[in-house]
Amino acid sequence: MTSPPDLSGLNARGRWPPPDGPRVAIVGSRRPSPYGEAVAEQLAAELARAGVIVVSGLALGCDAAAHRGALIGGGVTVAVMGTGVDIVYPAAHFRLAEEILAAGGALVSQFPNGTSPRRHNFPARNLTMAALSHAVVVVEAVQGSGALITAEAALDLHKEVMAVPGSIFSPLSVGTHALIRDGAGLVQNARDILAALGVGREVLDDPLKPPKRLGFELPGERDGILIHLSDVLTVSAAELARKLHLPISEVLGRLTSLELDGAVRRHGAGYVRALRRAKERA
Amino acid sequence: MLATVDSCVLAGLEARRVEVQADSANGEPKFFLVGLAATSVKEARERVRSAIKNSGLAFPGKRLTVNLAPAEMRKTGTALDLAMAVAIALAETGGRVPERSAFLGELALDGAVRHVDGVLVAARCLKKLGYQRLFVPAADAEEAALVVGLDVIPCGNVAEVVAHLRGGEQIAPQPFTDAALESSPDVLENDLAEVHGQEEARRAIEVAAAGGHHLLLSGPPGSGKTMLARCLPGILPPLELAEAFDVAQVRSLLGDLLPGRPIDWSRPFRAPHHGISMAGLIGGGSGYASPGEISRANHGVLFLDELAEFQANVLQALRQPLETGRVTITRSGGSVTYPALFTLVAATNPCPCGWLGDPVRTCRCTPAVVDAYQRRLSGPLLDRIDLQVGVRRVPLSQLASEPRGEASGVVRERVLAARARQLARQGCLNAQLRPSRLRNLAALEPGSRLTLERWSERKGLTARGFHRAWRVARTAADLEASELIADRHVLEALGYRLHDVAA
Repeated sequence: MTSPPDLSGLNARGRWPPPDGPRVAIVGSRRPSPYGEAVAEQLAAELARAGVIVVSGLALGCDAAAHRGALIGGGVTVAVMGTGVDIVYPAAHFRLAEEILAAGGALVSQFPNGTSPRRHNFPARNLTMAALSHAVVVVEAVQGSGALITAEAALDLHKEVMAVPGSIFSPLSVGTHALIRDGAGLVQNARDILAALGVGREVLDDPLKPPKRLGFELPGERDGILIHLSDVLTVSAAELARKLHLPISEVLGRLTSLELDGAVRRHGAGYVRALRRAKERA
Repeated sequence: MLATVDSCVLAGLEARRVEVQADSANGEPKFFLVGLAATSVKEARERVRSAIKNSGLAFPGKRLTVNLAPAEMRKTGTALDLAMAVAIALAETGGRVPERSAFLGELALDGAVRHVDGVLVAARCLKKLGYQRLFVPAADAEEAALVVGLDVIPCGNVAEVVAHLRGGEQIAPQPFTDAALESSPDVLENDLAEVHGQEEARRAIEVAAAGGHHLLLSGPPGSGKTMLARCLPGILPPLELAEAFDVAQVRSLLGDLLPGRPIDWSRPFRAPHHGISMAGLIGGGSGYASPGEISRANHGVLFLDELAEFQANVLQALRQPLETGRVTITRSGGSVTYPALFTLVAATNPCPCGWLGDPVRTCRCTPAVVDAYQRRLSGPLLDRIDLQVGVRRVPLSQLASEPRGEASGVVRERVLAARARQLARQGCLNAQLRPSRLRNLAALEPGSRLTLERWSERKGLTARGFHRAWRVARTAADLEASELIADRHVLEALGYRLHDVAA
C-alpha cells in the first residue's frame, strides 16, 4: 500500500481549502445503470443540503452525477482530478467544472498543471480522494473498478466506507455487495451516511421496516407495462410483449408514450423505469 | 473502297453511336486506326488483322485506314472489334450492310466472336436510336433478344457474319427472349420461422419491407443481426418486369448475368465487406465510372454488416443515394448516373468489443472509445435510417425456449398488401414520399401530430428526422390497412428511433 498522499501539496482552482464541514466522497462506475446515476445524484443533493461537502472525481457516470447532485442541493463540491487542474477530463465536463467553481467548490489535483490524462494517474487520484474525505460511499461498481480502489484506500486510512445495495442480477452491484459483505455500511438514504459521520440528529431507520424512499417519485401504475420494468436492469420490448400477450407494435407504441411522459427511459437495447426526482431542479 | 459499319460504346447506362469507317487505298500496306481510340481499342488492330486472316478472308494488302466517328469522342473497350472486321472485309470486296444494323463483339485471333459486357444496355439504347438489327456475340444473343422488336443475329465467328452479309449462308435470328416466361426458383436464403424471439427486430424488418425503409440493427455479436437481415429479401415481392430489366442492365454492364437466365426475378441482396473502397461501393473507375455495390443492390437490399468499421468517407458518400435513389459519378470520361434505389440494412455492435448493454457479459471499452465508435455513425447518416432497433443476444441455453415467430410467407402476405395500398394511393413506396406529398397523402390526426411534435421537440429531431418518422407511421398504418394515421402508429414509429437520445 502506498503511503497517504501529501495533501498540502495539492494544486487547486477555486476555493481551497474548502469550508469546514464533513467531506464525503461519492464514487462509482463510469457507466452506471440509470439506478446508480439517480442514486448518486440524489444522495449528493441530500448530503449537500445537510451541509456536507461532496467529493468526487469528475469522471463520467456516478462521479458527474454526484457533483451535479451537490450543485442541485446548493452545496459545495470538490473534484479530485487525475489530470492537472488546468485540464478538464473528460472534456465534455468543461461546463460542469465551471459550475463547480461558480458554486464555491474547487478542482484539486496532486499532479502539476499540464498533466494530461494517463491511465496510471487515476488510481493515485483515488487515494487522494479517500484521504480528503471522512467517508467514502460507493454507489455502483463492477468487480475491480476504480471505485473499489478508493474504498480500499479509505479502509487503509481508517475512513468510513459505505456502499449502496442494488439488484443481485446487476453486474454493477457485485462490487458494492462485496463491500457490504466485508463490513461496509449499508446506505439506503442520506441519513445513513450522516449517522455514520455522527452528524445526523435523526435516528436510523428500523431495519425491519421498509426504508424511506430516497425521495424518488415512483411513476403511477396507470399502465400495466410499468410494473414489468425495473430501475436497474433493462427489459426489452420483446420480453414485455411476451409477458403482456400484446403485439410488439402496440408495446413499442406504449413504451414511446411512457417515454414521452418521462416515466420510461431507453437504455441500450431495452427500457428501464425512469427515476424522477421528487424535487425537480429549480 | 470505303465501307461503313455501325457500332456503339457505352457510357454508363447510355450507348453512344460509333460509325466505323474503313477505307482501303493504293499505297504502302499499312493499317491506320484513327478516331480517339483508347489502348484497348488500339489493340484491336492486331486482333482484327489475325481474325480476318484466320477466317480465310483476305486482308487488304493496301494502305488501310479505319476511322471511328465521331472522332472527338473517346472510345474504350473491345466491343468495336466485330464492326471493324466487318468494315475491313467489306472495304476489300465490296458489299453493303443492311440498313439500321449495328455490330457488337470482341474478336479472338481465330475469328471467333467473344462475349462483351453490357449487350443488354447497348441493345436497349440502339433500339431507341432507331436500329432494327443487332449482330452480337452468340453468347450474348439471349440477353440482347430481351429487347422487344429488335432482330438479334447471334455471331459465332467473322467468316459466318461476312458470308451472311454477302448473301451466302444466312444466320438464323435469335428468337425473342420472353422475360415473362423466365422463372427463377424461389430460394429463400433464410426464413423468419428460423428466428427465435427478437420480436422487435422482426417487426422492424416487416415495416422496412412494407414501406421501403432503411433499417439499422444494433446489438452484440451473435445476436442474430446478419440472420435477420438475410430474412428481408424473403418477405419482399418478386421484381416487377421493369425492375427486373433495371437489375439485368446493371448486371449486364458488369458481365454478371447468369448464362441462360438473363432475367432473374428475385430481389438483389448485396453484402459487401466493410473493407470496400469508395469506388467499389458507390461506383467508380477510370473513363466512365462503372456501377458499385449500391447500384447492384438496386430494387433490392444492401446489407452493410459492421457499419462502424466502414471507412468514414465511404459512409458519407452513401448520403446522396440514400436520399435520391440514384448516384451520379463524374470521372475523366464524363458523368454517369446509375440507379441506386435500395433498402439499406445496416448492422452494428454498440461498441468496439460489442458487449455494451449486454445483460451478462461486461463491456471492456472505455466511455471515450464507445463515444468515438458511435460518433463514426455520424448524425447525418443515422438521420437517414428510418428504423433503428436494438437486438439482444439470447443465451444459447434459452434459445430453444424462445418463441418462434411467423414464417416469411405469412409476413410477406401483409407486406404485399401494404405495398399494394401504397402503390395504388401514391405510385411509390412510403419511404420515397416527398414531404409535400406526405402532407397530402399521409394526413395526421391532430393527436398523432401533437405526439410527433412533442417527440421532435424533446429529442431535437431535424426536419428530415421528423418526416422520416412520419413516413414510418404511414407504413405502420398501411400494415393495418388504415387510411388514417392514428396516435398508435406514430408512437410505434417513434419506438424505432434508438438513437434519439437527447432528453
